[in-house]
Amino acid sequence: MTKTMLCLCRDVSVEDVTRAVSQGYGDMETLKRFTGAFTGPCQGKTCLDSIRRLVAELTGRSVDDVPAPPGRPPVSPLRLGTLGAREEP
Amino acid sequence: MSPRVVAGASAVLPGTTSRDLAPVYDAVIIGAGLMGLGLAYELAQRGFGRLAVVDSAYPGSGASGRNGEMIRSAFASSEWIGLFDDSLRRWHTLSAELDFNVLFTKAGYLLLASTEDAFLAAASNLELQRSFGLNVELLDAAAVRELCPEMAPEMIVGGTVQSDAGFAHHDATVWAYARAAAVRGVEIHAYTTVTGIGVDGGGVTSVSTTRGEISTRVVVDAAGGQARDVALLAGVHVPVEVYRLEAMVTEPLEPFVRPAVSSPAIMGYCHQTTRGELVGGTEPDVPRPSDSIKATLDGARDMAVKFVRLFPRLAGVRMMRHWSGVVTQTADVAPILCEAPGCKGFYLDCGWVYGFVGAPAAGALMAELITTGSAPPTLAPFGIERFATGKLIRETSLVVAPGAGYGA
Repeated sequence: MTKTMLCLCRDVSVEDVTRAVSQGYGDMETLKRFTGAFTGPCQGKTCLDSIRRLVAELTGRSVDDVPAPPGRPPVSPLRLGTLGAREEP
Repeated sequence: MSPRVVAGASAVLPGTTSRDLAPVYDAVIIGAGLMGLGLAYELAQRGFGRLAVVDSAYPGSGASGRNGEMIRSAFASSEWIGLFDDSLRRWHTLSAELDFNVLFTKAGYLLLASTEDAFLAAASNLELQRSFGLNVELLDAAAVRELCPEMAPEMIVGGTVQSDAGFAHHDATVWAYARAAAVRGVEIHAYTTVTGIGVDGGGVTSVSTTRGEISTRVVVDAAGGQARDVALLAGVHVPVEVYRLEAMVTEPLEPFVRPAVSSPAIMGYCHQTTRGELVGGTEPDVPRPSDSIKATLDGARDMAVKFVRLFPRLAGVRMMRHWSGVVTQTADVAPILCEAPGCKGFYLDCGWVYGFVGAPAAGALMAELITTGSAPPTLAPFGIERFATGKLIRETSLVVAPGAGYGA
């Protein structure tokens, strides 16, 4: 059986999103937490647009009515040793 | 409209309804977090009648989906142990009871002592904890090093480990209660904001929302970070301060720390999830009054410095994501669980800082209070009158910065 991947960080496919929305996870915030999409190292930079478009289709809304979950810092994953390093005097 | 629209697509979460509000309910619970959903489930179990849970956003959008997920009952006071051990026992069977896997992981909970004083304090709590039947052990430095080989040795003097405590998945717990409540007839209305609470003759009579008016004789304030504002709608003053806390998650790693770890020395707590990520947070020495849920650079740096101090290997591990949430903190950091004095039918379930672990017991005990009219013994110490009488609960094992200026 073929799968169409959307979120490569968390292995979320078109089929996974379709199933989740059918089960009632039709809000981007709950869909994110249920499927894990947008919570991997890329934080949704790869898949956000495709998943919004798919959710819009599955719920009969326009893409503008499917709000993207707020982005979380850091923009790119950052080593704790770098983040916590003291500034040079 | 696309031909691909699927059934169920109008739901926000399994269990939420898109129906209109009914004109009358037997109880309206404000807040679809763990407190509100847990209580709704327990009231439905007791056949309380027609129940609605309303929330201004999606279920679990507040602290229920932002907390550190850690679970213990080994506290230092009989009041806290009584309430939270009732909860821990419910956690052990919660997945089966709710028929949904909340990923409760009995990995143990280590309260780390990094000073001799902290170690002596931990030792002095053991007798009380064991009198409640808690599975606690006092560990010396060597035993803690064996339990957590990656922990910085200089942080370790000893600790208390509670072997049948641990952590669970906070979102799954919200979903589990939402489903279980809905199956029993509870209506969960997301994106429904309360704008007023009607009070007449010393008791509640109605709730006004952005989606209509409701008549009801029972209203529960389980509104988390907004609990103070909700109570004011009924003319009730709740003495809490709203504080912002921050948390983070790292990239996934192979298993390297088994128990949940709490460290008063860094004012921090963390655990490694089943997905391999380290999830945790640290608290500033002085709490920051704020109802903002924006994450700060200072917060991120504080967590980075402190978690590297605790687990040096984390210096080379990336922070993937960082967020914040708010808690409502009382003068003694214990929750407020009671009927509001002078306002019959208006119940308070708020002021939580350890709300995630406490929710299963709070739901059951508040349901007892509401259905029978009397507070079970484990609930009784948490009444709001203690702030007027000054008989505050003294609990010394919390990893929370004490605040100031409560109820000002």
